Amino acid sequence: MTEAGVVLAGGRSSRMGRPKADLPWHGSTFLYRTCAIVARIVDGPVVVVAAPGQALPAVPAGVTVVEDPVEGLGPMQGVAAGLAAVADRAAMAFVCSTDLPFLHPAYVRRVLRGLAASDADLVLPVARGFRQPLAAAYRTSLADLITKLIGEGDLRPGMLTKHCAVTQLDDAQLLADTALARFDPELESVVNVNTPEEYDQALARPAPEVTVERFGALAGKDGHRPRAGRAATLGEAAELAGLTLDRHIVAAVNGDQVTRDPLLPLAAGDVVAFLSADAGG
Amino acid sequence: MAPGGFFGRALVVDVGDDAASAAPFELPERVLRAYLGGVGLGTWLLHRLAPPRVDPLAPEAPLAFVFSSLVGTPLTTSAKFAVVAKSPLTGLLTDALASSRFAIAGKLTGHDALVVRGRAARLSVLLIDGGEVRLEPAPELAGLPAAEAETALRQRFGRGWSTAAIGPAGERLVRYATLSHDGRHAGRGGLGAVLGAKNVKAVLVRSATRVAVADQPGVLAAAKDLRRRSFGPATAKYRELGTLANLLAFNAVSTLPTRNFTAATFDDAPKLAAEELHELRGVARNSCASCAIGCEHIYSRKDGGRQRMEYENVFALGPLCGVADPDDVFAASAKCDELGLDTISAGGTIAWAMECAERGLLDEPWLRFGDGAALLRALDAIGARSPGLGELLAQGSRHAAGVVGQGSLEFAPQVKGLELPGYEPRSLQSMALGLAVNARGADHNRSGAYEADLSGEVNRFDGGAEHVVAAVGTEDRAAVMDSMILCKFLRGVFEDPFGEWARLLSLVTGWAVDADELGATARRIVRAKRAFNQREGATATDDTLPPRLLTAPLELASGRQAALSGQRLQAMVDSYYVARGLDEEGRVREDDLPELLLDA
Repeated sequence: MTEAGVVLAGGRSSRMGRPKADLPWHGSTFLYRTCAIVARIVDGPVVVVAAPGQALPAVPAGVTVVEDPVEGLGPMQGVAAGLAAVADRAAMAFVCSTDLPFLHPAYVRRVLRGLAASDADLVLPVARGFRQPLAAAYRTSLADLITKLIGEGDLRPGMLTKHCAVTQLDDAQLLADTALARFDPELESVVNVNTPEEYDQALARPAPEVTVERFGALAGKDGHRPRAGRAATLGEAAELAGLTLDRHIVAAVNGDQVTRDPLLPLAAGDVVAFLSADAGG
Repeated sequence: MAPGGFFGRALVVDVGDDAASAAPFELPERVLRAYLGGVGLGTWLLHRLAPPRVDPLAPEAPLAFVFSSLVGTPLTTSAKFAVVAKSPLTGLLTDALASSRFAIAGKLTGHDALVVRGRAARLSVLLIDGGEVRLEPAPELAGLPAAEAETALRQRFGRGWSTAAIGPAGERLVRYATLSHDGRHAGRGGLGAVLGAKNVKAVLVRSATRVAVADQPGVLAAAKDLRRRSFGPATAKYRELGTLANLLAFNAVSTLPTRNFTAATFDDAPKLAAEELHELRGVARNSCASCAIGCEHIYSRKDGGRQRMEYENVFALGPLCGVADPDDVFAASAKCDELGLDTISAGGTIAWAMECAERGLLDEPWLRFGDGAALLRALDAIGARSPGLGELLAQGSRHAAGVVGQGSLEFAPQVKGLELPGYEPRSLQSMALGLAVNARGADHNRSGAYEADLSGEVNRFDGGAEHVVAAVGTEDRAAVMDSMILCKFLRGVFEDPFGEWARLLSLVTGWAVDADELGATARRIVRAKRAFNQREGATATDDTLPPRLLTAPLELASGRQAALSGQRLQAMVDSYYVARGLDEEGRVREDDLPELLLDA
């Protein structure tokens, strides 16, 4: 079953004083990181929902942007727009806001698997004591229902739960996933950043612990054996490995897509393999 | 007068009961320019000289050794020769390249190609000395490995000869037997069986003349520049660890076919990795004649011998069969060398048989994944064509699956009868297309589409339009490199491949060739191959992958799955036909046949 990602970039960001999508983060932005983390997990499209006329920073290759057709109707309008944009290509979607700087891929996978394993229309995590409708998994078929409810004047994020089948996942259920329990035991995936102070605190945190491996001619004298360290992006991981990403070197995170995007965000527990771009033989 | 670097003629040798005769075969300049040499010219020769629907093992089936204008020049990596024939494994065109001095000596017999037909009454060797040919009986070579036959022939005929020979598997017509020279194999498609069917153990060639290039100073300057560039980072992998460097890297990105394509990672991969073996076993590095790269890495064996190891033989005789002990894999590689077996087809066929045995479809309870002794026993049986299993597996996995039935064709790891190389199609979907549509069958040398998948420029799990463009592009580049003859390990040093190759070709031949012309040449060569296969009965239904790869998703270390549906592959195949200008059934259009110069 194809899965999509929907990232909401709009919102007033009134306490932050500037759009949260634009906030710098290890060489890119909050928006870039969130999109790329979601794209690492889903096998279908990733779309960003922007407010009408909103200027956005760069997004990762392959991510598309749709505009919320109506301004000021709140996040559920963005959810509806995002789900509608991917409904023809995916049966379900992970939906989140852009201000989750610690969103872990294992969280995205856990929530999506929760939906895939149930008959529900919505898997709603209740993490760290709060419902998380903007870090949840939705059937894309809900787009019309949400639009209808908004048309009836109900703009609250919680309104949907009365009209569709919902499975809630509490902390314990979320952490039953071994990868999530290991790499995000405090469920900081759902911690959002609302003020300049919170943003500064987030920036001051150490980069996630990752493992780098170098193969083939890149292994050099130290050999190919894994090396642990901290890196927030692929570019930082390359530095950790003593390499410079150029046309002769590519990388893969956890054996997945091959990339040379230095801004690709990393998360705790990632294993980054660097290999020669020439795979002939 | 022939263009620079060419003689403008082939030599067609007819082997009779006890003697051979030869006749020159004119190669018009427009044909040389249209096909360049190597596999391109070999394809044209097959069109002209192979009777339609000929049995590949019949006397009248031709086997062509083909050179090019670059062969014998100081341009690095150009000392290679193509061997082209109708494959006894696929029933379609097959071509393979090998190195190195045989290429130079063969060309300097005064011919751009040497074509062998006929059948000797007894095991013989064929000597080609300029335009003179002779057949010498050689019963004493029966059963010898090719390398030992080369040594024996050097003692018998002297040092001035270069020899291409077959091993016991070629003599016994194993359908994936190789033809080799100096330890290097023209490996794929059973070329050794084609020569074996002619009762010819070896072909010996001796230089008899010289050939001038159009711009000698220009060629020397270009050779110097190319040599300098060949020491850069684009070839570092080949120089430092060789192709075996792929193994651990492919394992890390879930594209190392394991246990007959039931997985794409192998837990014991580190035991077989170049990074480990280089430290523990590495003893020597070697290169072909006229090559600055030196990709061959030769390791010490437990029994005291030495063994050249490449990614493809380690993949096929290791993870694909579930075998993790490097000594077993080394021994299996050595046995393939001795018998003259294509390691990829041998490993693929045995892996299929192991799965059949584990499923109870073959009554060979000893044949199990991971058992190195069983692997060696199976290779012996194939080389000897032992009644039962050896005879069955000597036919290759497709034919064997036809005999065993019971759904075993679903997991026979082959396309068009040729066993798959070590690139997992589900996690390399440009390559999936390349493997499906290639004229030679499942092949990584005529379609290097994995380059796109492993470049980060396409989503390797989601084949589509850009993957088609990538597959066509790499197929075109391979067609030119294999025809003008430059080693593909050099490909990374070219910033503007077609432009740079055109300049090299112009310097050698004197033709005013440009990148556009070379692009058209590539497309012509690819079409000519398809046209040959079309003539021999290939249809669009052959352009596919084994059902297993189109139905079973692959689990990735990241937690995601890689899946390639038949529908997605078919969409790419259809787009490929459009990109190649073929009709909806993948056929070369009638209107395009004149451009192939098949009547020239």
